[in-house]
Amino acid sequence: MTAELTETEQAVRDRHQLRTLAVAITTISAVLCAVGVTIVYAVSLNRLWFLHFPLGFYLLAQGLLIFAVVVAFWYVRVQERIDHTRSINEEIA
Amino acid sequence: MSAPSRQRTPNPHLGAYYGIVASAFVSLVILLAMAEQLGWSDGAIARSLILLPLAAYLAIAVASRTLHLEDFFVSGRRVPQVYNALVLAAIAVGGTGFFAYTGAILFLGFDALAIGLGWTCGFLLAAVLFVPYLRRAGAYTLPAFFGQRFQSREARIAASVLQVAPTALLLAAEIKIAAVVASIFLPLSFWLAVLLVTLFVAAVGILGGMRSLTWSGSAEFIAGAVGLAVPLIAVSVLLTNLPAPQLTYGEMFGSLQTAETAAGMAPLAHDAIASVLPQAAPAQVTKPFLQAFGTISEAGFFVLFLCFALGTAALPSLLARSGVTRSVADQRRSTAWALLLVALFVITAPALAAFAKLLMFRDMALVPTQGLPAWLSTLSQWQLVQASDINGDGTIGAGELLIARNGVALALPVLAELPYVLTALMATAGLGIALTAAGSHLFTLGVSLADDIYGVLDRRPVELPRLMAAWAAIGACALGAISFLLIAEVDALHNVVTAFAFAAATFFPVLLLAIWWPRCTAWGALASMGTGFIILFLAVTLGGIIGVAETAVGIATASLIAAVLAAGAGVGASLYGPAPAPFDTAYYEEMRKPEGEAIFDLAQVRAATEAARATEE
Repeated sequence: MTAELTETEQAVRDRHQLRTLAVAITTISAVLCAVGVTIVYAVSLNRLWFLHFPLGFYLLAQGLLIFAVVVAFWYVRVQERIDHTRSINEEIA
Repeated sequence: MSAPSRQRTPNPHLGAYYGIVASAFVSLVILLAMAEQLGWSDGAIARSLILLPLAAYLAIAVASRTLHLEDFFVSGRRVPQVYNALVLAAIAVGGTGFFAYTGAILFLGFDALAIGLGWTCGFLLAAVLFVPYLRRAGAYTLPAFFGQRFQSREARIAASVLQVAPTALLLAAEIKIAAVVASIFLPLSFWLAVLLVTLFVAAVGILGGMRSLTWSGSAEFIAGAVGLAVPLIAVSVLLTNLPAPQLTYGEMFGSLQTAETAAGMAPLAHDAIASVLPQAAPAQVTKPFLQAFGTISEAGFFVLFLCFALGTAALPSLLARSGVTRSVADQRRSTAWALLLVALFVITAPALAAFAKLLMFRDMALVPTQGLPAWLSTLSQWQLVQASDINGDGTIGAGELLIARNGVALALPVLAELPYVLTALMATAGLGIALTAAGSHLFTLGVSLADDIYGVLDRRPVELPRLMAAWAAIGACALGAISFLLIAEVDALHNVVTAFAFAAATFFPVLLLAIWWPRCTAWGALASMGTGFIILFLAVTLGGIIGVAETAVGIATASLIAAVLAAGAGVGASLYGPAPAPFDTAYYEEMRKPEGEAIFDLAQVRAATEAARATEE
């Protein structure tokens, strides 16, 4: 754990950490914003109907959950790609 | 399940084993359904459907017994991602989610959705922010992670002491709810049921630790999923002609609103109910299902959601499972699968509540012409429903029908006049989920007290004493839980809200700082944990007296304020104190690497090699 990193290795590490941070912020803020906006407009959205459900109720009971699942699996895929890129770059370095 | 411990290859026959478990469970249900038609008594059916699966779970735990440390603490780090997800989902939802959350939806309708949404998004936060890094660190417990991250025994001991609050509250809630269900369906008093349930979960934890919890928990999840799905699909087919309750219960909203209006329910003003969450004792339902923000404001809804999300992400019992899969990528995927499973439950729960409410109030509207419904006597006998014509007008309105919050899931098959075997199936399903959750909370509590406090104070390089300390601590915690339930009145849902609030306030900020901020130091971690815990503790105890945090939203608000202050305290103490030691920085960098063996395992191998070399010399 105490081995010194070369400049190239540091650049690879920093790029990986930056991309990881960016994807984490994107993922979490997307879901939290979606929840916040739905809560604020839930009463208005309830005037519209979707699959026999009031839209505001549907989004909070099902829609946002489906969105969270999709975002989670998207995040897993993107993060794995970022991790894979770091491994390849470290091997090259 | 029988692969050598150091081999990171999961048993290739697991799919076949759990296929057999699922088939055996379904076959048992079918056999008992036939037996019911042949005249078996309700008691015999309930006993068979509850006790036989319990015996199977125990047999799996016995088969998974181990004396190996890595198997006991992290299930050998070779649990396939989906099996880990089954147990994670069962722990997050628990018997409280199965029985109390579905009941809360019947009472509050729209307003209760904040809790389920919080659980689901909490898994997303955990998957993104914490779990992969905890897997890379490879510590056996959450407090051990803090100890290793900051090279600090104080941080480890403090985390272990502070995690008692959320974990013990959840343990008490799960045992209580499992005992209530067992005492309804088995010839046991409530106290005997508490004893039986606690002995069961302690036995599973002691036999094989995380290993037996994983494999018996997976079987319990399968029983739970089948037991929830079958009665609900049957009711859905009866009411809507389609076997997809999640999609079809919207069609029933017209009938539901008519039944609610007939029962005298009218939309509530925001401050109509002082306490947001319904109590466990039978109470009247006053709020229409679809009314948005009737008992809670928009801000309160978001606060409750956020409290559950942060609490789920930082819950010690869930994070204790962060080291059980083969790799960082597996652990991340496993959390995503758990999110999917929890989302499926959360999508399903409102359907259950809506169907139960519709059947209940529709039948009550027919009382003047058709008399009392048949289900009333059964549910009254189980003390799940009380109805009386108080004003003598010949009808039973919403104010005259008292419903026990935790009994809604059990009441659904009775309300729909389904065969008794489906009621017993719902009971065994909820019981299985509650046992998984209770077992995990008990294991987390006991193992942390043994390994993070006793183990730190009295380290011995021999395996058996360390395991024996864990067994003793699990046994002592089980006794403590029984004693607590004997003297204290436990409301499962209230316990859950308080426990998630404590997890959010105490552990979320410190985990965020420890994993995402290299400048965080041991002093910062101690300040963060201490601040979060003390502020919430004061709010819940003293604040409860003066009315600051006596409702669920009040507790959730206090926990979020405590979490923000805890993060500030952590940052302040880290910046004010000395800079992190080079080892801490190196550990941080190593933890952020996406691939490779767990840091803890590498350290163990290094220590063993050095010890061997020293012996040779």
